[in-house]
Amino acid sequence: MYFWKCWRDTRSFALVFLVLAASAMPVTALVSKGINLQEGFGPGAFLSTFALILFVVALGLGTIGAIQEFTDKTAHFLFTKPRPRFYFVWAGWVVGCAELLAIALVNVLTGWLTLAYYGKTPLWSVLFGLLTKLDIAGVLIYTLFVYCLTYAMTVVLRNGLKGLGASMGIIIGLAMIAAAVRARWQVDVPIPVEHFGSLPIVASNLIWIFVALLFVFAAQLVVERAEI
Amino acid sequence: MSELAIGTASLARTYGAIHAVDGINLSVPRGAIYGFLGRNGAGKTTTIKMLLGLIRPTAGSGRVLGMDIRSHNVAILQRTAFVSEKKTLYPSLTLCDLVRFSRGFYPTWSDSAVEKYARLFEIPMKQRFEKLSNGNQTKVFLLLALAQGADLLILDEPTTALDPVSVDQLLHVLAEDTLDRGCTIFFSSHQLEEVEQIAEYAGIIDHGKLVMECRLDDIKSEFRLITAAGNFLPAQISSQVLSIDVEGNFRRYVVTKDAEGFAAGLSRNGATVTGIVPLSLREIFLHLVRKEMSCTSGNVGATPVHLP
Repeated sequence: MYFWKCWRDTRSFALVFLVLAASAMPVTALVSKGINLQEGFGPGAFLSTFALILFVVALGLGTIGAIQEFTDKTAHFLFTKPRPRFYFVWAGWVVGCAELLAIALVNVLTGWLTLAYYGKTPLWSVLFGLLTKLDIAGVLIYTLFVYCLTYAMTVVLRNGLKGLGASMGIIIGLAMIAAAVRARWQVDVPIPVEHFGSLPIVASNLIWIFVALLFVFAAQLVVERAEI
Repeated sequence: MSELAIGTASLARTYGAIHAVDGINLSVPRGAIYGFLGRNGAGKTTTIKMLLGLIRPTAGSGRVLGMDIRSHNVAILQRTAFVSEKKTLYPSLTLCDLVRFSRGFYPTWSDSAVEKYARLFEIPMKQRFEKLSNGNQTKVFLLLALAQGADLLILDEPTTALDPVSVDQLLHVLAEDTLDRGCTIFFSSHQLEEVEQIAEYAGIIDHGKLVMECRLDDIKSEFRLITAAGNFLPAQISSQVLSIDVEGNFRRYVVTKDAEGFAAGLSRNGATVTGIVPLSLREIFLHLVRKEMSCTSGNVGATPVHLP
């Protein structure tokens, strides 16, 4: 029921980006070869395309996934359904997450096939290369961070555009602050999804996932305390 | 099991210095139709929202279907259907979509009720909500509430935007279909005629205070307007005297019981009782909430005009 409603609200956006994700890698490969930008379509182009698409999708899904449900106009209808409010917050988030992962999966699959085709190498070795040489996990965690932040901001501010603006402001602001601190005091301030000091990469990634989920918990608290 | 579908004790909600609801004690019996009356901003919607957990009370307590409104919100919503005063829904969904959306939340949902009321109210099932007229949008809300198979129906201004035929249909449905299966109906309204038509009980709220709660039959049989003239007339509201209006040397008392005895008491104190007349709900409502009535001039509040 509610999952269906969330899917219904976001499916146009998700389907458009699913098509884009499926075609982006082959198109990028064709263009890269055509203008001799580099030696054909390589892992670098793959990762750039992958990160760019997922970043846009995360911002988009974070914005439209929540706001349609938590505006004042329909909240009285939704919040008089017999479910705790956290259910609505997390159900919307789960649907967006599933769409995000589907788009990522399609993008990786087409990228894998494209790399194998242009590299004239066996599929398994390309996949192994992708998983080891490229930071696919890093991109996915960064995307999750952006998605959770935007989703939370949209819920908290009860406005899609304001939520999107606040989220982008925080992402850009964090990078600028970290850069300024590094330049001025030579102190490393970790920004998503950089490593925390000497912690192993897995631990750093887990911390960033936890931080991303904290945004959704914050949104849940706000919604639970909201008066309609 | 509590005999009350809704019971509140000193339920209150303040916004800063404003007492939106000021310690009301509601008693809505199970299986009854209860009309909740009040002017705009009297506190009707705030009370309803507190009962449904949409806003938190600042003081007092309340029970709906025997369950505490603070701790059993989800269980209350499972058995309660609600029609908000704001009749806005997801604009791109059709009635079919809305039924599909709502059905899964309620184990007691009835598709046959959807068909029945969609036919009765003549609502197009496949038209987007945003394309429906205001009246049809209201009907969609009512249909979704009626199909829930709830034990308690809370309706906030349910007849807003409905034409007279639809109002009549709705009142008929409420009075017959829902009561037949033991459902309690609690509805707020400005339309006193509607309340008189179907309700058994009425409560009047004004400036956040419940100024009257009674059976409508008691109004017909017991409530009287007593007009008296004289000096040293009682000026205190009591359990017997609901309101007192002063007009010149006359006082008008709305008495809730034993009107003859009250009039005899006035006479014993030297007053001249000039009339004892029965009251309608409308007259009681106006006596209780129209403040100009208690003033000495029939035009109080008007800007004085000084003629040359």
